[in-house]
Amino acid sequence: MHYIWKEWKENIRGKGLWLSLSIIVLLSISILFRSTNLSFDKGFYILLINLFDTLIYFIPILCLFIGAFSIFQEKEQKTLIMLLTKKDNYSSFLARKSLGLYTVVLVPILTWFFIYLLLLKFNFQLDIKSYLIFMIAAICIALVFLQMGTAIGSISRSRMQILGITIFVWFYFFFLHDFILLSFLPDVQYENVKFFSAVYFLNPLQSVRMFLETGMGVYSFGHMSRLLQAFMWTKPVFFLLGNLIFWLTVSFSTAIVFNRKEGYE
Amino acid sequence: MKKLTLISLVFSLFLFVKPERNMAAENLQAMIDSMKEGAVLRLENKTYEGNIVINKSMTIMGSSNTVIKGDGTGNVISIKAPKVKLSRLTVTHSSMDRNSAEEYAGIKIYTNNNVVEDVLIRHSFHGIYLSQAHYNIIRNNNIKGMGKGEIAAQGNGLHIYYANDNLLEHNTIDGTRDGMFFDYANNNKSYENNISNTRYGLHYMYSDENIFKKNTFTMNTGGAAIMNSNHLKLEDNQFIVNYGNQSFGLMLLQANDNYIAGNTFYMNQRGLYIDQATRNTIKNNHIVQNQIGIELWASSNDQTFTLNHISENTIPAVTLGGTGEHNSWSKHGKGNDWGRAFPLTDLNQDGIGDFPVTYRSSLYQLIEDQELTYLFLKSPAISIYEKINATLKDEDTMFKDSHPLTAAKGKPHTILFFVLGVLVVLILLKGRQRLCITFGRNGRKI
Repeated sequence: MHYIWKEWKENIRGKGLWLSLSIIVLLSISILFRSTNLSFDKGFYILLINLFDTLIYFIPILCLFIGAFSIFQEKEQKTLIMLLTKKDNYSSFLARKSLGLYTVVLVPILTWFFIYLLLLKFNFQLDIKSYLIFMIAAICIALVFLQMGTAIGSISRSRMQILGITIFVWFYFFFLHDFILLSFLPDVQYENVKFFSAVYFLNPLQSVRMFLETGMGVYSFGHMSRLLQAFMWTKPVFFLLGNLIFWLTVSFSTAIVFNRKEGYE
Repeated sequence: MKKLTLISLVFSLFLFVKPERNMAAENLQAMIDSMKEGAVLRLENKTYEGNIVINKSMTIMGSSNTVIKGDGTGNVISIKAPKVKLSRLTVTHSSMDRNSAEEYAGIKIYTNNNVVEDVLIRHSFHGIYLSQAHYNIIRNNNIKGMGKGEIAAQGNGLHIYYANDNLLEHNTIDGTRDGMFFDYANNNKSYENNISNTRYGLHYMYSDENIFKKNTFTMNTGGAAIMNSNHLKLEDNQFIVNYGNQSFGLMLLQANDNYIAGNTFYMNQRGLYIDQATRNTIKNNHIVQNQIGIELWASSNDQTFTLNHISENTIPAVTLGGTGEHNSWSKHGKGNDWGRAFPLTDLNQDGIGDFPVTYRSSLYQLIEDQELTYLFLKSPAISIYEKINATLKDEDTMFKDSHPLTAAKGKPHTILFFVLGVLVVLILLKGRQRLCITFGRNGRKI
């Protein structure tokens, strides 16, 4: 609880959280204006898909920065050393710090999405289940990239390193991961498609998108071929859960194993 | 004493048996049978038991809560006389049997010149079935099926079988197998119907010269599938979010001489999917934000694309299986507006670009060979893949529009890009230091 309170105080004094929130607010309002001529009963789904497709460009990079700089700040201000000397070891510090970050980042975002739902009510026929799925998708993306951010903050010694690694991670998940898979695509056959599918859904952006679009009933998997059936060997929600567990664990472990307690400017 | 016992026994039988339900069924059929030709029967706000057969010209009008409930063994209402009018009813529980010789429906029409309007149909195999029935009007009806999960176990919203010259308008169909299915049905007109969550919103088989205007297809597996049908007119329809591994806005399969104009194809897996089709005119359509704007298979010849607005699709158009013959991307010197992805100059200001638009792609090979490619179409990696392959591999020309239209004025994203631009400029002006201060350091300067 102390960590949540500390994180909250640090973030409301800083501009990062407010900048991120204002970008999300601006984008969602601009998409709402663009969607006003959509139909009353189905426009809601189109808006959510468009909103997600836009937010997915911003949430990951903002969360990476917030997570990374939050940890790095502890190094810069020497509070990390103080905390570790006092009672915590690094893993317990990181766990508490992550929990604090989740709360501080997600509470304002979720609050905005609840307010946004009220705005949507004036224009569209709401589907609360779909909206909840949309919020879960946004939460999952934020969680994964916040945790990756904390790992980047833990292993970095300077701000330049943070900038470099963050941009690389963002670039990797946005372009490189899919690009590598596209290069292997001609060799995918029934025998190896499950492995290919596991790697495909390791990209949080793809597993979250699939979860959202199938969960909302927008994307239909009808009349699947044998290959596609093998590709979708479990439900999208399990792909997402697997992805979440995998990246949270990997990020957490990386942060603990490779953490550097000192940072310089 | 014996007589008294016998009478009391008979009365007690009446007390224990609840004959209202069956009697109501007999009543409705009896009421219909007792009416004169051309009479008007007004039903009360209650549930009447079916099934019923109407074999004289008459009008049956319900109220807001009038329900005709079938017994689940056949058609709930069979219309076997011409000039019958049904309105303001809820019809439920036809047979769902798929092994019977007959396909059952909530309302089955065997005759001509009937009107069915303001009817709700639920729990029925087909919604309204026109069997060799002509000149009927089906209007303002609402048909709800069991949803996308149940394709085989249910029938179609409107099933038009060997039926010509019918008018189908303002109907809402949701969650049936196909929304409207035309089988050997010609010269029908469909206006302003709203179809969602079906397999194919519209399905034409061997049906010619039908007109289809201002209908909306949303969230179906396929918007409209036109198969083996010729001389159709599809105008001002909306194909929106027909999105899935096999999905399309409009599919033309062995369909010839059709006129497709003024339609909107928005956020579909494929906007238009054209295979083994010839001499179709695709004019003045908005094909926007689809994963593939137009998927044209080699067996399709003599298509004409003119005056279409094709923009913001992941792939604007792709030609698969080789290049079809005589497919033309402009007509009478007017091509298509390909959006901002294809910048053009127009020095003489005649609205036509000064040089042709040519789209080359290497992705077609991957799409042809590997169906999983569709899963990557939303990924930003696609553009990188195309650019890298442009230098490494041979690309094929997907289309060449010799007379492209210059992009329409007015850009909807201006405000968004302006705000983002200002943000980026601010961050750059203040420098990297500011970015670091913003995200760390409690907002304090170093």
